Amino acid sequence: MTAVTETAGEAAATSPVSRLPLPLRFAARELRGGLRGFAVFIVCIALGVGAIAAVGSISRALVDGISEQGQTILGGDVSVSLVHRELPEGELAGLESLGEVSKIATLRAMARRPDGETQTLVELKAVDDAYPLVGELEVSGADTASGALAATDDTHGLLAEAGFAARLGIEVGDAVEIGNGRFTLSGIIEQEPDRLSDGGIGWGPRAIVSHEGLEASGLVQPGSLLRYTYRVLLDGVASDARVAQVAEGLESEFPDAGWRVRTRDNASPRLKESIDRFSMYLVLVGLTALIVGGVGVANAVTAYVERRREGIATLKSLGASRRVVFLTYLSAILILAAGAILIGLAFGAAAPPIAGLFLRDALPVTNYGPFPGELAKAALYGLLTALAFALWPLGIAREIPARALFQGRAQDQGAWPARWLTVLLAAVVLALCGLAILFAADRFLAAIIVGSAAAIFVALRLVAWGIMAGARALPRSGPLAWRMALTAIHRPGAVTPSAVLSLGLGLTLLVAVAQTDGNLTRQLTVSLPDRAPSFFFLDIPRNAAEDLRQTIEEVAPDATVEEVPMLRGRIVSLEGVPVSEIEPHPDAAWVLRGDRGLTYAETPPGNGEIVAGSWWPENYQGEPLVSFAAELAEQLGLEVGDRVEVNVLGRTIEARIANLRKVEWESLSINFVMVFSPNTFAGAPHMVLATASLSDAEERGGAEARLMREVTRDFPTVTMVRVREALNSINDIVRQLAWAIRGASGFTLLAGIVVLGGALAASHRHRIHDAVILKTLGATRGRLLWTYVLEFGLLGLVTAAFATIAGTIAAWAVVTFVMQLDFVVFPWVALAAATGALAVTIGLGLVGTWRVLGQRPGPWLRNE
Amino acid sequence: MSHSAISVENVHLSLGDAAARVHVLRGLDVHIGRGEAVGIVGPSGSGKSTLLMTMAGLERPDEGQVRVAGEDLGRLDEDGLARFRGENVGLVFQSFHLIPNMTAIENVAVPLELTGQPDAFERARAALERVGLSHRLDHYPTALSGGEQQRVALARALVTEPKILFADEPTGNLDGETGKQIIELVFALQREHQATLVLVTHDEGLAARCDRVIAMRDGEIVGGEAGIGRAAE
Ligand SMILES: Nc1ncnc2c1ncn2[C@@H]1O[C@H](COP(=O)(O)OP(=O)(O)OP(=O)(O)O)[C@@H](O)[C@H]1O
Ligand SMILES: [Mg+2]
Repeated sequence: MTAVTETAGEAAATSPVSRLPLPLRFAARELRGGLRGFAVFIVCIALGVGAIAAVGSISRALVDGISEQGQTILGGDVSVSLVHRELPEGELAGLESLGEVSKIATLRAMARRPDGETQTLVELKAVDDAYPLVGELEVSGADTASGALAATDDTHGLLAEAGFAARLGIEVGDAVEIGNGRFTLSGIIEQEPDRLSDGGIGWGPRAIVSHEGLEASGLVQPGSLLRYTYRVLLDGVASDARVAQVAEGLESEFPDAGWRVRTRDNASPRLKESIDRFSMYLVLVGLTALIVGGVGVANAVTAYVERRREGIATLKSLGASRRVVFLTYLSAILILAAGAILIGLAFGAAAPPIAGLFLRDALPVTNYGPFPGELAKAALYGLLTALAFALWPLGIAREIPARALFQGRAQDQGAWPARWLTVLLAAVVLALCGLAILFAADRFLAAIIVGSAAAIFVALRLVAWGIMAGARALPRSGPLAWRMALTAIHRPGAVTPSAVLSLGLGLTLLVAVAQTDGNLTRQLTVSLPDRAPSFFFLDIPRNAAEDLRQTIEEVAPDATVEEVPMLRGRIVSLEGVPVSEIEPHPDAAWVLRGDRGLTYAETPPGNGEIVAGSWWPENYQGEPLVSFAAELAEQLGLEVGDRVEVNVLGRTIEARIANLRKVEWESLSINFVMVFSPNTFAGAPHMVLATASLSDAEERGGAEARLMREVTRDFPTVTMVRVREALNSINDIVRQLAWAIRGASGFTLLAGIVVLGGALAASHRHRIHDAVILKTLGATRGRLLWTYVLEFGLLGLVTAAFATIAGTIAAWAVVTFVMQLDFVVFPWVALAAATGALAVTIGLGLVGTWRVLGQRPGPWLRNE
Repeated sequence: MSHSAISVENVHLSLGDAAARVHVLRGLDVHIGRGEAVGIVGPSGSGKSTLLMTMAGLERPDEGQVRVAGEDLGRLDEDGLARFRGENVGLVFQSFHLIPNMTAIENVAVPLELTGQPDAFERARAALERVGLSHRLDHYPTALSGGEQQRVALARALVTEPKILFADEPTGNLDGETGKQIIELVFALQREHQATLVLVTHDEGLAARCDRVIAMRDGEIVGGEAGIGRAAE
């Protein structure tokens, strides 16, 4: 043996690779030549994993931020809140023994410029000197926040958001009136540490006054929509356990206090829930991107196995078992998938800091990750998808026979993939679906979405199969281009299945999103004002109700005015089970969570159909009865005859459910979950809630503005919500969410286009071969081009038709069953989808084949 | 003939499905002794390759029995056959069928690696040296000439010291001079290893160098005659 040969051979024999198990060693030899042919594979997996990891990480950052800054958001370690009632001495003393206490009051009210020309609804908060216990209230235009609220002569200081000053057209230093009180805008709020604690939608700009200021406004009346919150900053270092213990102690020490206790680790449950739900939708959309990418994975692996056919047959001829072959190629694919997943994870990990650049002001993100749990989930999805789509072609690789090495036998097929492989494949698919459902905030909804996605996937396979069968069955007559296009559609190795699947899935999702989105927007912007009132009037003192009605009738004689008595109260127990022990259906949780508006009525409300039980007779005097919203009752497991206990103004009242009533919440007319029999609250002080629906002519004639002006002037303590304005703020939010969902769907479409592009590129050799032969036979470029347009046009047309129908059905299901709204088809969405699909298929197809058309036959024929 | 290296008895085989079904092997009986070199000749399409594949366990007969190296191939499953080939059989093809993503030495080492030999690479190097390629160990197949590729394939077929070497037109893709070198190597190695050789060829002269020649036509054996191989020794 010469020295030269020794070094050469030894390198291979002793490299670390040679100590790996055989399949891994072979896989390493597979991959060291580079990644050519795997671009689509890697992009598909990375795209899907990246989308899921990004969504997961961002929502985790938000949720973590909320819980980490819980103390700041809550304004203390523990808070208790009550409706229009201050804490009695005993309870207050109990709180003060725990640590420092700050009292705040929140309500909605009308603010107006003293000349009466401008007014706005305002989210008002009254604070004491201790506020804020945690964090910093940053203001501009005033030296100190606390000094800014002090009283001078007959006016009190007021701090407000910039929007407040803008709406009223005033500046710092100007006067403003709220209720019966006079205030001076003494500074602009830049940063309010606890603004997320309410978690709801703000109907107007936010403002802060002192308790004395609130007192002076005269807005504090029995029954007004006012909430007191006492925040406690515990003495010493308060561990989470201590906080929980204190909260429990408060509940058990004062069982009848009628307050809602919250702790810093759950400072904004509503916001957290919204984020959870929303991110669930986005993750499911991300999964669709991954599944579309899966089609690309299957294509790539199939092509890879095809390229390696000879090598695999050779291994077999040398004594390799099916197991070695399978494991070798499985390892290679898994290594590639791992690389792609890492790329996706890097993107996902980078998402929170990037999103942070935009969200910093709006949401409390402190920890930008990375979040290993979220990344692990995304990686798992990626791995399972790669397996789900690679196992079948790998199973085919496993069976490639050694006899394929003989002349004329290269295309010999082996056996079908083994039965255990089919079982494994089914298990992987089930695991993928199962995880998607398991990880979702709303499993039922997730199951529906996953089920529909699976159904659409299967349907698309059938569509592809149908197109190919159709093309095969059509008579071989007509122009040459047409016949060639038909052949191209159904020949073995045609792009039909992957084009239909990848584009079809992406497009179906997009149509579904667009139709849902369109319906939602229509519901909120077009259809509502027809039926919805123009104004809500809150906190009308009982004795002012009649005068208010007169004022409205003077300004707008055609207006319809509706009035109902209004109390505030919360549900204490259902059928004797305390609310704290009930695990409610997520859609009904809000009913149990704090204070509800309650009302009573002699006769059934005009807009609610009784679906079970019956209404109480006139002048009913028996045990208290209640009419419950039907759907919520079902979600809470309540039936006619069940007992509901409510706490109103500190008093606990038990009522029996007399009937269930269908409620159309989206009609925006006055709707209550619970309507009691009139004797239930006999003698309890209450306020009146009213709506006014102006006629179209009155609205056009500027009656709205006049009514605003007159009511705020004559009834300063009455809060007016202009429905149009309120809807606009909801619309803004809906619109932003819709963009996020559209963006995520865009990922799916992008994945679809990558897959389609990949499939077309893979069919290139075939096309060049055909084109060259046809050219030598005299076909012109124009004729070839026409063939391609026909082929891709046909594919695009059928796919678009399917996607439009399937997407619309999906949207119909979501709108009708999940959102419970009426569904309308938006034809332009369908049209846009169809045109888009055609443009993409024909466009991509032509871009891909342009080069083919230019090929000179010579070199290709010589290489044959 | 229990001491035959290969015994094929009354083998029938049809290929293709339905309308395209062809009765390729029509009741063959072949017996080949240990260390014997047998040439198979016949017109194109007569079933030479199919017979070779049947003897190598790559094709299952519809009827009849095939015993190779004392093993009844009908009793082995897919993986059993693969293992059997790895241990007992070397194959050389017309197109060389080197694994494109492996170097020459890796290609030769594969059969040894598959049976878990710790000294796979030393033995592979020795085998390549024997076919005169010690300077091409780390070349990929695409960087080797046709003759060199076939020599690697030969080294790979013999590195496990198989009892039987099957070669299907091993010189079919090579020019005359290179083909001659390869065939010399085949015979030399067969003698060295005392292996049984089954050589399919169109070249009567080449076939005649074997101990025995089997002539086929339309899936049947139409004649057998002694070659000159033994006589030349
Ligand atoms: N998969 C198949 N299906 C149908 N017929 C087949 C199949 N494979 C081979 N044949 C037929 O079997 C017959 C024998 O083929 P085989 O390859 O054994 O011939 P051969 O003698 O090796 O020919 P050549 O000298 O051309 O290599 C041929 O007629 C061939 O057409
Ligand atoms: Mg042949």
